[in-house]
Amino acid sequence: MLITQLKPKEELLSIIHGKRVLTLQCYGCAEVFLPKEEINLFLEELNKSSTLIVKNIISDYLCNYEYTKLRINLWAEELKKSEKIVIFSCGIGVQVVSTILSQVSSIRYQVYPGCDTLYLNGFQGLTPFNFDCAQCGQCFLNYTGGICPLTSCAKSLLNGPCGGAKNGKCEVAGPAGIAMDCGWEKIYKKLETIGRLDILKEVVKLRDYSK
Amino acid sequence: MENDKMITSEIIIQDYSKFVLKPKEEIILQLKDVDKIFLIGCNKCFKEFKQFGEEEKECVELIKMLRENGKKVLGCADIDFLCNRIITEKIIRKRKELNQADCILVNSCGIGVQTIAELTEETIPSKPVFTAADSIPQGGQHCLSLYDEEGIHFRCAACGQCFLGMTAGICPIVNCAKELVNGPCGGAKNGKCEIASAIGQVAGATGKDKDCVWEKIIREYSRKKFIPELFVSPVIRDFNKPSLKTKNVLADLVREKRFEGFYGGVYPLEKKEFTSQKAIKIATEPKQVIIPLLQHAGCPAEPLVKPGDKVFVGQKIGEAKGFISANIHSSISGKVIAVEPHPHPVCPEKILSVIIENDGKNQLAPEVSPKGELDNLSSEEIRKIVYEAGIVGLGGAMFPTQVKLCPPKDKKIDTFILNGAECEPYLTADERVMIEKTEDIIFGMKALMKVLNVEKGYIAIEENKPEAIERMITQITKADYTDSGHNLRNLESREISVICVKTKYPQGAERMLIKRILGREVPPGCLPFDVGVVVNNVSTAVAVAEAIRTGLPLIKRVITITGEKNKDPQNLEVKIGTSFKDLIDFCGGLLDEPSPFPPPQVGREKEKGKGSCQDVRSVEIKMGGPMMGIVQKDFNVPVIKGTTGILVTSPSDIEFTLLRACIKCGRCLDVCPMELNPSNLGLYAEKEEWEKMHLESVMNCIECGSCNYICPSKRSLVEAFKLAKKEICAKLVKNPQSSE
Repeated sequence: MLITQLKPKEELLSIIHGKRVLTLQCYGCAEVFLPKEEINLFLEELNKSSTLIVKNIISDYLCNYEYTKLRINLWAEELKKSEKIVIFSCGIGVQVVSTILSQVSSIRYQVYPGCDTLYLNGFQGLTPFNFDCAQCGQCFLNYTGGICPLTSCAKSLLNGPCGGAKNGKCEVAGPAGIAMDCGWEKIYKKLETIGRLDILKEVVKLRDYSK
Repeated sequence: MENDKMITSEIIIQDYSKFVLKPKEEIILQLKDVDKIFLIGCNKCFKEFKQFGEEEKECVELIKMLRENGKKVLGCADIDFLCNRIITEKIIRKRKELNQADCILVNSCGIGVQTIAELTEETIPSKPVFTAADSIPQGGQHCLSLYDEEGIHFRCAACGQCFLGMTAGICPIVNCAKELVNGPCGGAKNGKCEIASAIGQVAGATGKDKDCVWEKIIREYSRKKFIPELFVSPVIRDFNKPSLKTKNVLADLVREKRFEGFYGGVYPLEKKEFTSQKAIKIATEPKQVIIPLLQHAGCPAEPLVKPGDKVFVGQKIGEAKGFISANIHSSISGKVIAVEPHPHPVCPEKILSVIIENDGKNQLAPEVSPKGELDNLSSEEIRKIVYEAGIVGLGGAMFPTQVKLCPPKDKKIDTFILNGAECEPYLTADERVMIEKTEDIIFGMKALMKVLNVEKGYIAIEENKPEAIERMITQITKADYTDSGHNLRNLESREISVICVKTKYPQGAERMLIKRILGREVPPGCLPFDVGVVVNNVSTAVAVAEAIRTGLPLIKRVITITGEKNKDPQNLEVKIGTSFKDLIDFCGGLLDEPSPFPPPQVGREKEKGKGSCQDVRSVEIKMGGPMMGIVQKDFNVPVIKGTTGILVTSPSDIEFTLLRACIKCGRCLDVCPMELNPSNLGLYAEKEEWEKMHLESVMNCIECGSCNYICPSKRSLVEAFKLAKKEICAKLVKNPQSSE
């Protein structure tokens, strides 16, 4: 479950300008997020320029090794005609296609990712809500009233607020353009409502970074 | 230790879990002040399949451990996908034991725990929430990429700045211990990473040897004779990526899309551009029609004609039998050649059909005559006209309209919805009808509203049909303020409004429309009647208008003939009974390219030696749209009342089968608009455990196909559910008591 963003156009153009290009879009996780519209706009632009799009293939779940291997056979004709292959999918899709191509043929295909994959905490879950899980391997939620200090505190502090928050807003995340609430203030308020402020007095175990 | 097992290469999808129990001491320590515990466990997400009613092993052990330590466990809720807040909330609200508990102990990954922690604030009395598990770091592993037959792992660190184009498709971020992006560090010995082997020595574990990924990348370069841009101009990794702002914006976008209008649903490619701009054409007269006597939900009609009889256009040839049934009429004039079983587009078995040879005269039956002004007709009379004309729901379900017009006495109907959503991809018949027959639609709608005596009517149209929306709005304002001066006077007070709904599949399903427009939820097992609503399709309204204005029964309809493999896609007005083949030929025939590839052999089918060279067809013909359409084996089947379109495409390159394993990713749960658990149901279907499927409410499935569409394993879920529903129905008929 990954989210992708179109790579900067200049970067893509520098690679494929004036070449015969095969584009491959993966719509499997598109239900999660693939910038379909931007990709198609970009391809339209390309069509008008000197770049030749051999074919724009729409597929799904490129990350499934089995399917992709079968499908590569179906795309054999188009692949032969193209010089560069641009794949609009997450990093996994690109790796799978690239590996299969180097396994099944001796032709030197050059595979390029068309998207950057973004890491969104919390999207490990099914339906994305506001919760993040840093998957630290050492759950601290017991001590914090169910609010994760690792993801809701910009400094990932485990033993209390840093003291730098102003009006409840984080000092670190502030300048980056998003006013993020101080996670530790949220934790304090939560513990207050459930009457468990005493938890804060407990000695928190150290975070094990090797996990 | 278990942690290590997860991270190294011996991952089998079935046992792959996202969390592991905390050490016993830690759990006991944190529970020292509490006595009564309520346990909530998440039991899906790449975990082993659990039988219905059976408690999860991990939870059983946990409960045992808690009891040994003198704690009282009041209850235990196993919830599939705890992170799915909407479903979790519904289940939790039902558990009354929760109120007596001192605390809630959650056995799940961090997201599940936080979901529960937030829920306790809003819905259930504030209780401290404790976690019994630690999340397992996944190191860039996502869904399908966990494992494959050849043991190759692909991971993605989602760094926000993809380097794969420069590194021959091998990711240096996840594979290099130092995450270098501009070449090897030089520390590798015999092609093995110095860091990984150092850790291996310390841990004393074997199998820690890791190949130096940069050596691999360079080998790949030389094989491809490819000098990457990387060595010409080195790239600097931007550790600031992606910025928090971008992340939040994207995350919000995803959430917004997911919960738009109703829970679940998918966004398939629309592909309506083939026909959406093409005006409705009238198809050539068929030489012969095949009219099945079952073109509706319910009992088949009784034939009224025999071979040799002369019939006229609009003559009744089949009499409705029973309450849920509909009359059948001849769509042409000519001679009946046979009354015999014939292949049917919906039913797998042959259905008794009347086959009529066209004499080309198109003589109207004497009983076909206008029924007079709408004003002068009583609601009983209109109901009678609808019944006589054999009108059924033209959206595809073919439910007799007359039954919808007879709500039970105790149910007060207050709203009428005309369904013009047409959420199926490819189909544009309803869209064209709305553009070209706007007036008929409003007339039919007013007639239907008069029968039901409702005050408020809505026309729901998806926002991808702007022209239809515009026409409809213009027509309504015109009808209300100018035309209605005389003949529609007493209908003036009834208000009709157009609602533009977001495009999302299955928006056109009754329940979803009611939820979206009125915010009312039709409880499982109930009908729209129960919430005071009647929903009809736009084409049905046109048929009603026709039946009143000209007296012509339902003998023709507008369908879309489309698909990539069709030469000239069209919207056609066709007579019921015309064969699919004639219509496809009318639209230029097939773009027939013989498939150069053998049929795919995938997954477990290969092992079983099945699935080789079966029927290799280069096209697939479906009645209806791609999501809910029914695949046709025989192209000589006739168009029936419920045919919304004929779709000619190439078959899916990967075959859908239940034989392929479920990877328990939970996507189907995420998209199921009925909030069922297709993943579980599919696993029961594999073992043909219909009883259990019944308990998990498979009967509520609306067969929309969203789960099939999203399934990364491409399991044929809907097919299995249809079979299960049939089996359960058959069983219920046999011994009705068992329904309790």
